[in-house]
Amino acid sequence: MMKNKKTRKKMSYEKQKSLYGYGFIGLWMIGTLVFFIIPLFESLLYSFQNVNPQSGGMKGDWVGFSNYITAFARDPHYRTYLFDVTADMLRTTPIILIFSLFSAVLINQRFKGRAFVRAVFFLPVIVASGPVYSVITGDMSTSGAEGAAQFSTVFETDMVTELLEFTGIYGLSQTLTETIKHTIDSIFAIVWKSGVQILVFLAALQNIPPSAREAAQLEGATSWEYFWKITFPYVSPVILANLIFTVVDSFTDSGNKVMGRIIAMQNDWKYGVAAAMVWSYFVIVMIIIGILFLIAGKHIYYEVE
Amino acid sequence: MTRKEQKVAVRARQQKHLSLMSKEQISYVKRKKAVEMIWRIFRFLIISGLCFVILYPLLFMISCAFRDKNDMNDPTVMWIPRHLTLDVIKETASAMKLGKTLVNTLVINIGCSLLQVISSAVTGYGFARFRFRGKNILFGIVILMILVPPQVILLPQYDLFNSLGMINTPWTMYLPAMTANGIKSGIMIFIFRQFFRGLPRELEDAACLDGCGPFRTFAEIMVPNALSSFLTVFLFAVVWYWNDYYVCNSFFSSNQTLALTIKNIQPVLNAALFNDASLRVSAREYVVWTQAACLISISPMLVMYVFLQKYFTEGIERSGLVG
Repeated sequence: MMKNKKTRKKMSYEKQKSLYGYGFIGLWMIGTLVFFIIPLFESLLYSFQNVNPQSGGMKGDWVGFSNYITAFARDPHYRTYLFDVTADMLRTTPIILIFSLFSAVLINQRFKGRAFVRAVFFLPVIVASGPVYSVITGDMSTSGAEGAAQFSTVFETDMVTELLEFTGIYGLSQTLTETIKHTIDSIFAIVWKSGVQILVFLAALQNIPPSAREAAQLEGATSWEYFWKITFPYVSPVILANLIFTVVDSFTDSGNKVMGRIIAMQNDWKYGVAAAMVWSYFVIVMIIIGILFLIAGKHIYYEVE
Repeated sequence: MTRKEQKVAVRARQQKHLSLMSKEQISYVKRKKAVEMIWRIFRFLIISGLCFVILYPLLFMISCAFRDKNDMNDPTVMWIPRHLTLDVIKETASAMKLGKTLVNTLVINIGCSLLQVISSAVTGYGFARFRFRGKNILFGIVILMILVPPQVILLPQYDLFNSLGMINTPWTMYLPAMTANGIKSGIMIFIFRQFFRGLPRELEDAACLDGCGPFRTFAEIMVPNALSSFLTVFLFAVVWYWNDYYVCNSFFSSNQTLALTIKNIQPVLNAALFNDASLRVSAREYVVWTQAACLISISPMLVMYVFLQKYFTEGIERSGLVG
């Protein structure tokens, strides 16, 4: 008893605090080990194994890299899907960012009915992550309901080409027209996926001190100059956060094609190949995020406090 | 002075100002006014267009769900049904076994959300306020939890729960939620860490001087200060659990939650409405029933959003994620 008390007294305050720290995160540590770390390594192991589900669990034989070879060289869809999804992500991410910054600036202004408009703009946050979204976008197979197409084609008509031809623009470069067309076609998806980003940008906009605005007005800055000299530097730290969020969001979306392929493989009991696909996809996305970090990190203005 | 007189007075004053200004100044003021006017119209058009894009599917759902059978096959009825009825909703609800599914969903949803909010708050507090060895590595794991999609780890998790005999029981959802490892828990831990870091340290120092241990400090001092933040994270947890079908799909073999039912809406509707899964229905009827099912499944979230909208939007602003 005495000895115990003595050691306790000797234990420094810092050490005691660190023990309490472990106490707070202890439950999470156990859970993470069981539900995250071990499954993570197991799925990495699966990707090098020929996995067979058996009564006692999974049984695997070591096959080296053959699952990866199957995924990349033999699977008819994986490579094209991977390319499509990555290209799509690289194309829509900047558009989502620009769009959400633009919308945030827009709803940050004063006008009648602003509260209602805000409520509407954040509505997708609630619906878009669920299965209802795939019904809305018509991804869900509606076999036996071909006529249903007419209901959901409001946003799918080829307005762009018509508009361009109407305004007399014919010889525009192919890639440019494609990009514009893609943007307009996916306006629905972009608007529906920008809820959180708009919210975050809006919060950043409201953090701009009024003194900055006053100073700019006194100096006679136009709204254009105000945006680039004041607004943009102030929101630039959140741009990185939004960028990462957008990339991760589109990457982990179970509705995207690569994920669909992986699920199909799992339903086919080809767990080894599925694991190889997941892991190669994961590595590619981590590389992309790393590159984005490097590029964006150089151009971001942090307010010195 | 009446309002009219006031207006006249204001205009007269403006005239006086104008007469004092040079020609250039007048044209500048006029130009500015014109630009502002154009911008207002432009803004109105953009905002109403975007609102339409967002509200369109919801309006369509509502329009579909309340229409009569005759209106389904009437091509002239696009938006506003001629005969309002609740029949479609009733039929769809019975096809979805709404009563049982809803109770199931709510039990899993509320239980998991509560457990996960508490466990991630505790973890987030640990990361925010204590120094211990390996903290950076452990926090790296939290970031990894945000980045790794659930698909990567679901199969080994299935194995684990299978060997414990827990497949098809709610424990597959509760256990991870309890240990802050459920759906999107990485983000939740991150938000709580940011939030607790923003609270003044004096709160704890005072409690410590008064002889309050860290766990009691957390429960009695920090939690009451963080209530609005708790509510926000809880609301998001409810939404995420409500919308999840992927994780449920792995652990449940039957359509036990609303999201799963929607994901498999086609066979569900076919089987229940026509008692014959191979039957082909008229496309329009089909669309109407599907839309009604969607409306049913998201209406609880919509109602919650309408009443608690403030907490959704203000919560993120105050969570410390920004600035």
